[in-house]
Amino acid sequence: MEDFWYEFVEVTQTITDGLLFGSTYALIGVGFTLIFGAMGKLNMAYAAAALGGAYAGLAGFVLIKAPLVLVFGISAVAAAVLGYAIYFVCFRFIPVNNHLAALMASVGGLFFIDEVVVHVTRGSPLTFPSMFGDVFFEIGPYGIRGDLVFVFVIGLISTGILLYILFKTRLGLATRAVAQQDVAARLCGIGVHSTNSVTFAIAGVLGGIAGAMTAAAVGVLSPVMTVPLTIKGIIVAVIGGLGSIPGAIIAGLFVGAFENVFLYFRGIDERDMYVVALLFIFLVFRPNGLFGTAITRD
Amino acid sequence: MKRLFKGVSVGLLGCALMFSALTSSADRSVKVLGWGAQSGPLKSFGVNSETALRSAVAEINAAGGVKLGDGTMVPIEVIGYEDSACKKDQNIAILRKTASTTDAIVAMGTTCSGACQAMFGVLQKKVGDASDSGLQMPMLADTCIRPGLAKISEWAFRNVPNEIDMYDALFAWLSQQHPGIKTFSGGTETDQGHSFITHTKVIVQAAIRHGFEWVGPAVPELGPKVGQGAKELQAATKTQHWLMGDTNYSVQARKIKKQNPDMVLVSSHPFSACGFLKEMKRQRVKPKLLVGLTSSASQETLNGCMKEAEGIIIPTGFAPITPAAQKANEIVSKAGGFLDLHSAAAWENAYLVKAAVEAAGISANPDNLAEDRAKFRNALAGITAAEGLIGPVTRNAEGEASKPYVYVQVVDGKWKVIHDPRG
Amino acid sequence: MDYYLNLINTIGIHTLLGLSAYLLILTGQVSMAQAGFFGIGAYTAAILTVIFESSILTAIGAAMLVSGGVAFLVGFPALRVRGLMLVVATVAFSEFARMFFYNLKWRIVRDGAEIGPDGTMGFAEIRYFNDNGWLNWEVTIFIWVFVAVVMALIWWSDKTRIGAVLRAVGEDELAADSTGINVTVVKVAAMTAGGVVAGLAGSLYAHQVTDLDHHTFTVLLATFAIAYPILGGLSNVFGTLIAVLFIQGLLVEGLRFLGDWRMLLFGALIILAMNIKPLGLFDNQTIRFLRNALGVKRQSGSV
Repeated sequence: MEDFWYEFVEVTQTITDGLLFGSTYALIGVGFTLIFGAMGKLNMAYAAAALGGAYAGLAGFVLIKAPLVLVFGISAVAAAVLGYAIYFVCFRFIPVNNHLAALMASVGGLFFIDEVVVHVTRGSPLTFPSMFGDVFFEIGPYGIRGDLVFVFVIGLISTGILLYILFKTRLGLATRAVAQQDVAARLCGIGVHSTNSVTFAIAGVLGGIAGAMTAAAVGVLSPVMTVPLTIKGIIVAVIGGLGSIPGAIIAGLFVGAFENVFLYFRGIDERDMYVVALLFIFLVFRPNGLFGTAITRD
Repeated sequence: MKRLFKGVSVGLLGCALMFSALTSSADRSVKVLGWGAQSGPLKSFGVNSETALRSAVAEINAAGGVKLGDGTMVPIEVIGYEDSACKKDQNIAILRKTASTTDAIVAMGTTCSGACQAMFGVLQKKVGDASDSGLQMPMLADTCIRPGLAKISEWAFRNVPNEIDMYDALFAWLSQQHPGIKTFSGGTETDQGHSFITHTKVIVQAAIRHGFEWVGPAVPELGPKVGQGAKELQAATKTQHWLMGDTNYSVQARKIKKQNPDMVLVSSHPFSACGFLKEMKRQRVKPKLLVGLTSSASQETLNGCMKEAEGIIIPTGFAPITPAAQKANEIVSKAGGFLDLHSAAAWENAYLVKAAVEAAGISANPDNLAEDRAKFRNALAGITAAEGLIGPVTRNAEGEASKPYVYVQVVDGKWKVIHDPRG
Repeated sequence: MDYYLNLINTIGIHTLLGLSAYLLILTGQVSMAQAGFFGIGAYTAAILTVIFESSILTAIGAAMLVSGGVAFLVGFPALRVRGLMLVVATVAFSEFARMFFYNLKWRIVRDGAEIGPDGTMGFAEIRYFNDNGWLNWEVTIFIWVFVAVVMALIWWSDKTRIGAVLRAVGEDELAADSTGINVTVVKVAAMTAGGVVAGLAGSLYAHQVTDLDHHTFTVLLATFAIAYPILGGLSNVFGTLIAVLFIQGLLVEGLRFLGDWRMLLFGALIILAMNIKPLGLFDNQTIRFLRNALGVKRQSGSV
């Protein structure tokens, strides 16, 4: 009986840790899903731009001793600028119905941003300051990381703000209009390119926050994080349903918890196989993900 | 605009073809070509090795250069340092390029163990075996540290520390210094060949051999002999595994906390080592001793987690503790690189090349290239002892080195030599 | 010479990889599974020549069969997803395959040494070509015979009804279905064919580099596989070949003189290429340009 209780505590602790860490995946997933919902295209350079923003924030910390709030702010702004640049360079001039060329161009963007980071940092991992890094709540047999709770809360707030912008402002209205029917939107006087670039910038802000939070949660920034984060972000966006923001959030938390549980029971070698199998199951049995599309395309 | 772009790309293509057709200069010199990771996350290794190599060669040339078979003194020329990006195909391409389009008598580098393994595989296995169409090009590696690579080919040589000896001696010393330390546990990154192999086959074994008790999950076959199956040891260390790009170490750290070991091994490269160390700190895991992987005895670890790495002990093949080492350290730092156990080997290799060239009596004449390379290889194989930066280096019949080492520890945010077993 | 032969070999192998993705993109399936099939082919062939000491042709044949078989099995669930979801599903498959190789361990002792795949430590010493005294130019011809045959087969089938059927399914499945084409058969057949070609490419790759490990068969390789037909354009097989020349010949090898700026330019040039020629480097526009430049008369009525 004591063994069972012990296991129970361990497993629920594992799930909790996974859920909290999953909020970083959730934010990256929201970014992917936002762009897909708005343009029907996948931006492979998204996670790279998010981490690029985190590096900019770190530069602020190292060079001008910026306080942490400012570091997050710099990350958000830098990632928004990167997001806008990616839109301009990889999506703006490519014909709208050519998905493949845009995909390939954004892959080029991913390579480029990664190499710039490697060049500037010589590939060295760099320590990233954390907010509430020393806070550790001990509730009974459980231990909960204060900084992950903070990440979770910031994630919720950011998504709330995003949803507000999307559904309660003119800008959000324009974004949704372009996403649903860009010809009609143009006829109404909405600039498709300017709206899309703003969408990329907003997704960039989210990405910068996600990048900075992930870096703060791990404590270290390194270019090796880019590809795994890209893959995870896409998996989360797909499981949540491409285009659905609430879907991406729930899927992010779910994937975070799921992979932690599998790590606990089956070890590292099989952990990723299970995540991948999970994805496969979703794709085969529920191709529209958890919530289908919230911003639909004609 | 489109035409301009087209013109630029055609021009670029033309330049590329022209450059790749250029051959090396006509002045007599002993030519070497190096390569390493100059892009990608391991970029610092390539940068440091290149800086060390070029600096050492500059020193040799300033002192007069090397003596050829006919008695003339000529400089060593590093005709290039290429970027291999740690990719096997690129490493092999550069090796073949060096062998077939340049006059280099030896290839030097490269960074990644997996890439070395592939490259050594395309070399001729045994010298003089006419049925083996492998490349006949001497290769002197400074970083590929995974155990047992040089025996893949007689043309392959390495100047890397022998991790088996180093960890064995380290744990012998630790067991003397810290008699109160009994139990140990630890983790490694499983998708990085060097870390995983060294952790499971070398470090854990050495600790057990010197009386420390493994408190990870029990495995009946766990024993003191090196060479035991990796899968068995993997089973033993199952829950303390992570991947080199992982961002969440909570499960692993918590398991170690529950085991409450006196000593923790963190056998991985700086990024995941730092991620794991930070997680251990968050979970209030405070082992009495921390031991790390050789490749992490570097500036990168300090960049990534100076505070959390405080106290970690690593055996390393380089520290500025002799006049030669200090001088080299100064020169390389001024040139923009760092000397650590890997790049210091690159420096030493330059001097090893000088010794081999002078023992071989080569002509440095492009017409005798194959002969020169064969003579160089034989001479290099014959050098069983050389002077390294912190002491004498010996070499065995398989082309593997046995190097002196010291133990370093992070103290107050800097690497400090805490024990010098060189005697 | 050896260096250039090696480059030509790499270009040949990557062309095969690109062609395997090309077949699938024709039918509208953007597949990232080619890395997985490539790996399966590589390991199968290597295991056969190293552990079972079979001849290279047997090994290649077996690799093609196994990869094709797995591709056939993947083809069915792939039918249920389309567009970007298929991209993700195939990424999942390739990652799954990679993890399989990461765990694969099959060691035997021969002549006192251990050989065979060893899990995360990789599969070293696949020395068939060197051990049997193959000269470099012999390997090159061997590889390119396969490339030429595959290119010829695809070129020929493009000119016949097969090509029309593939492209019809790629253009508009509903329309193709309503003209009586069995879309399921076409898509699964394309996936299987793609698997066979990728397996062939993998088996040649394993023996060229003599060493395999799971780090090679990543999403990055799968991205290269689809990059070649996308960059090259879907008009015909030469587009893929030109794209491989562009990426492997120019970007990877030709730009070596740029030192560490090379990898920076890599991403930038891909972006540039896609912006200038979104339909591929060898699209209809380029073909028309070449035809005019070479003064080739066009038959009226053909595209």
